[in-house]
Amino acid sequence: MGENFDVDLSKNLLEMKFMKKTKEQVLKKRDDAEGQAMYSKQISDKMRKSDGDIIFRQASISNCKNLVEGRLSFGGMNRVVEKLMESDYNKKYFDAEKRKEKDVSDEQMAKEYSTVVDTLNKKFRPKKQRNQKFQKPSTTEPLV
Amino acid sequence: MSAITTIDYLLPGEIVDNLKSKDRHTIIGPGLRRNEENPNKSLIVTQAGWLRFRSPNTYWIDSRRNRYIPKKGDLVIGIVTKKSGDIVRVDIGSAETASLSVFSFEGATKKMRPDLNIGDIVYAKLLTAHKDMEPELVCIDQYFRAGRLGILSNDGFLVCLNLNLAETLLNAENPLLRTLGKKFPYEIVIGVNGRAWIKANQAKDVLTICKTFEVAKNESEKSIIEACRQTK
Repeated sequence: MGENFDVDLSKNLLEMKFMKKTKEQVLKKRDDAEGQAMYSKQISDKMRKSDGDIIFRQASISNCKNLVEGRLSFGGMNRVVEKLMESDYNKKYFDAEKRKEKDVSDEQMAKEYSTVVDTLNKKFRPKKQRNQKFQKPSTTEPLV
Repeated sequence: MSAITTIDYLLPGEIVDNLKSKDRHTIIGPGLRRNEENPNKSLIVTQAGWLRFRSPNTYWIDSRRNRYIPKKGDLVIGIVTKKSGDIVRVDIGSAETASLSVFSFEGATKKMRPDLNIGDIVYAKLLTAHKDMEPELVCIDQYFRAGRLGILSNDGFLVCLNLNLAETLLNAENPLLRTLGKKFPYEIVIGVNGRAWIKANQAKDVLTICKTFEVAKNESEKSIIEACRQTK
């Protein structure tokens, strides 16, 4: 059902019980339109675009370098701290280990995979196209 | 987490522009300040050091400074130096002492005050750190839970490290703390202000840790990893 609120529904119709949701939507739309008309004079084009302005946010060195929270316990000295460490220290440690173990990096995998896709693509092409020989581009033509 | 890239060695007063941002936001760490002449596009360097960048939008300066400069969100170790009413003054190693409200502990009310005395050691988070104002500490997170913050017990030892070593040790990839943990049980709190609180069963173990840090201070990260691998 294509809902089109451009059609003005009568006041009496909107008051009816089954029109509750529609009434809310109509009211919201009217409010939005009113608000926009009110403030459109004050908001300039420059404010809307503000090209290239950057909002700077201060952060701790731990956020920058991805450091762990400093309270650590080893060998069961403080069970409570060790439990809290699970989600922070141990997770970051395992992630780092995993990254080291991976003998094929994600980027390499993506590259390899795309060549496999290419070769398989060739296989499903009609024979005529498949056997096309590579032609050396003429040297007189510009490269780009 | 994406890798850290080094951009350039910069001196205080130099201007950094062509900044990358994500949704027009850029995160700046220690050593950088907004450039007053062009506040919305460039930064000014306040410390000599290497400018580092981590994608998508984080910049900071890695320097070999010894003086701790407070930064919002830092987790630090402080010593209570003065009590006055509802607020205690805490020495965190910066130019100015920080203030800590007794109500910013988990479950603290007017009747249920935490037992804070002069000389106590607290592990706290910096709520505000502005160059014109005194730093303010809290011992709770945004959900009013203490987590690992709070007063540290009296049976530990406080030692001073340098800032670079503290940052190296807090990197989860550094195996030094884990390797020590295999030898004997211990609990450690390291603040980014270059202080460490150590608790172990024997005084001997505490001394071992202190000596290890003393040696690690002058070693590169590579040689620390190598030494840890050999002691396995």
